[in-house]
Amino acid sequence: MRREKGEAASTAATGITVARRDRGPRISPSVLLTSHLSLLTFSLLTFCCPPLSAQTPADVTAERDAYARWLATARTSPLAAIAVAPIGNGLRLGPSDADIPLDGLAEHRITERGGRATLEGAGATRPLSRGRSVSVGPYALVLGGVPGRTVVTVFGRIHPKPAPEYFPYDPSLAVSSALEPPRQAGIVRVLALDGTEVEAAEAGTVTVDLGGTTTRLTVRRLPGDADESDLEIYFRDATSGHGSYPAGRFVSLTPLRDGRYLVDFNRARNPFCAYSSAYPCPAPWSGNGLPVAVRGGERYGEREVRGEK
Amino acid sequence: MSEALHRIRSGIPTAGAVVLATSLVLPPSPASLPPLHFSRLTSVAGSWRAVLDLAGAPLPFSITIEGPAGGWRGLLCNGERCEPVSGVRVTGDSVVLEIADYAASIGAERRGDSLVGVYRNEGNRGPRVIPFRAARGRWEPGPGPAALVGRWDATFYQDWRTSPRVLELRNGASGLEGTIVSNSGDYGYFSGRATQDSFALAHFDGSFVYLLTGRLDGDTLRGVLHAGLRTQTPWTAVRSTGAPFLTPPTAVTRGDTTAPFRFAFPDLDGTLVSNTDGRFHHKVVLVDVFGTWCPTCHDAAPTLVRLWRKYHSRGLEIVGLAFEVTGDSAVDNRQVRRYRKKFGIPFPLLLAGINDTDVAAAALPQLDGFVAFPTTVFLGRDGRVRRVHAGFYGPATGAQHGRLVAEFEGEIRQLLSEQ
Repeated sequence: MRREKGEAASTAATGITVARRDRGPRISPSVLLTSHLSLLTFSLLTFCCPPLSAQTPADVTAERDAYARWLATARTSPLAAIAVAPIGNGLRLGPSDADIPLDGLAEHRITERGGRATLEGAGATRPLSRGRSVSVGPYALVLGGVPGRTVVTVFGRIHPKPAPEYFPYDPSLAVSSALEPPRQAGIVRVLALDGTEVEAAEAGTVTVDLGGTTTRLTVRRLPGDADESDLEIYFRDATSGHGSYPAGRFVSLTPLRDGRYLVDFNRARNPFCAYSSAYPCPAPWSGNGLPVAVRGGERYGEREVRGEK
Repeated sequence: MSEALHRIRSGIPTAGAVVLATSLVLPPSPASLPPLHFSRLTSVAGSWRAVLDLAGAPLPFSITIEGPAGGWRGLLCNGERCEPVSGVRVTGDSVVLEIADYAASIGAERRGDSLVGVYRNEGNRGPRVIPFRAARGRWEPGPGPAALVGRWDATFYQDWRTSPRVLELRNGASGLEGTIVSNSGDYGYFSGRATQDSFALAHFDGSFVYLLTGRLDGDTLRGVLHAGLRTQTPWTAVRSTGAPFLTPPTAVTRGDTTAPFRFAFPDLDGTLVSNTDGRFHHKVVLVDVFGTWCPTCHDAAPTLVRLWRKYHSRGLEIVGLAFEVTGDSAVDNRQVRRYRKKFGIPFPLLLAGINDTDVAAAALPQLDGFVAFPTTVFLGRDGRVRRVHAGFYGPATGAQHGRLVAEFEGEIRQLLSEQ
């Protein structure tokens, strides 16, 4: 269960195959046959079945299973999202001409004054609190965003979709790095996974070596509950829009016991805008583009492009 | 001793144990679990040494499962302190401990004399899932050496910024215990064990997941606060000199002293109760801003009840303003009634709003800089604010708790003496 993998695996096999092919014309038929057989074996190993070393670790599988279950059942699953809207000068919910029309819900109104949001409707007034879901008829509301720019997310029934798909597990995409100080420490407002604005702390940068390239990526601490928060990287790579989500993906850092951090791109997750158009998509973080294809983590493939997501 | 039991007792030292340089006897990691035929006991009932496998180190706690006669029951314990779980479901070798207050659960499979599973609760941005395992038996007490015991002024480091904390470490019945105190209150009771100069203390109540690890390095304590699966905050600490290190709790929130402190909220029967009611006239009043969801408020409640019983006949009134979770008055009312019964609270509890700091601040405009639940507002006989105490040092803080209670009592006596 421990997470102490992470050193790069070799991709030397490709080089060997190319070398043999180059020598092809001068080799006797029997050798050629052997060569072709080994090529075939190699191709089968590479393209048919994931090699043994690439078996998905149990903790990653457990994480993915829990996430799939959460998407399929949670009250605040993105598959249940209907709308994400700023409260601004007030929001009307319910009737067909409301800001957010909701079938079967009598008129309700959300207002915010002096940092205090309330929900009025059906003869009652209820306070709303940040990050906590409140039921209104068959719907649930959650407030998010930063004070003064509060947004409400409305959830209805879950629209089931197939579980997220992932690239085959690739151990070479789990790399470790020291966390270097940011150029300027401080707080920045960014969109979190769920498209709501949060105050994130500049946590620094990590340097990752992938596919023969070295990239420095910005890391930010996104707030959670109590003292829990995640160090996150929002990144794009050569697969963005070509097998992975076009806007980019989030990956969390796991602290290692030597003070360094594990960045396992096999754990990269799509922002919620990948599941529902109700969510705004976080803008790419400046400088966080990887020049290589990160074939690890959550995919966004043909199925979604065809509108079957 | 069966082979299975022997394997569990000898444990598998994980990297976490190595870092701590302790000889923690941990439940086995799943790979080392004994096969089923070693099973000696055929039920999940019994005492279990449990851990949550955080990314940085294992968090130790205990569970006890009783049943099935009279129905299944479960206890979740940190050291000697136990709380019942809200429900236990057993199906064959599967057990689920429900912790309804936090919409959380521990689900596990019994494999011989071990349990393996996960702790989980629902978040808004995904599930919170932490690996769980347990072995039969109880944790051995692990008292700490004198060099660790005492009060430490700690500096926590996160994102290249620092913040102050005070660590209180002492030896209790089950080994080293203590708490962390910040400017807005304490983190609750931590319990664990020490070996030589290292320690690991846990606080897991079904929702908060905290593990404090540390080691003595010369005169300096160095360690990490682990929160949840992945958040780690390094810290260093030196022995407290006795000089104040944190912002005093009475300097956090300021009260408007120019006019009587106003409040008007419904009680649990729906009757509006306000500061102008006759029962508060010319009385010394403690306004307890609390929530039933707030563990520190639970710590404070018995002290307030004791103070009310001792001083009510001499002119002390207490009123609790509850800021609750749902904003649904029926649900919140039930929660507050349960709280009132649990602590035998004889003074009025009012439903004041929901547990959002901004909401509470807006509901109590005469408080400037409201940040903590609980906050205790002391009113003199003229109804004006005389002292605002942010947070509360619970019994977990040891001597600080005693001093705080004495301060509260001194202030009440002083205010009562003013006519």
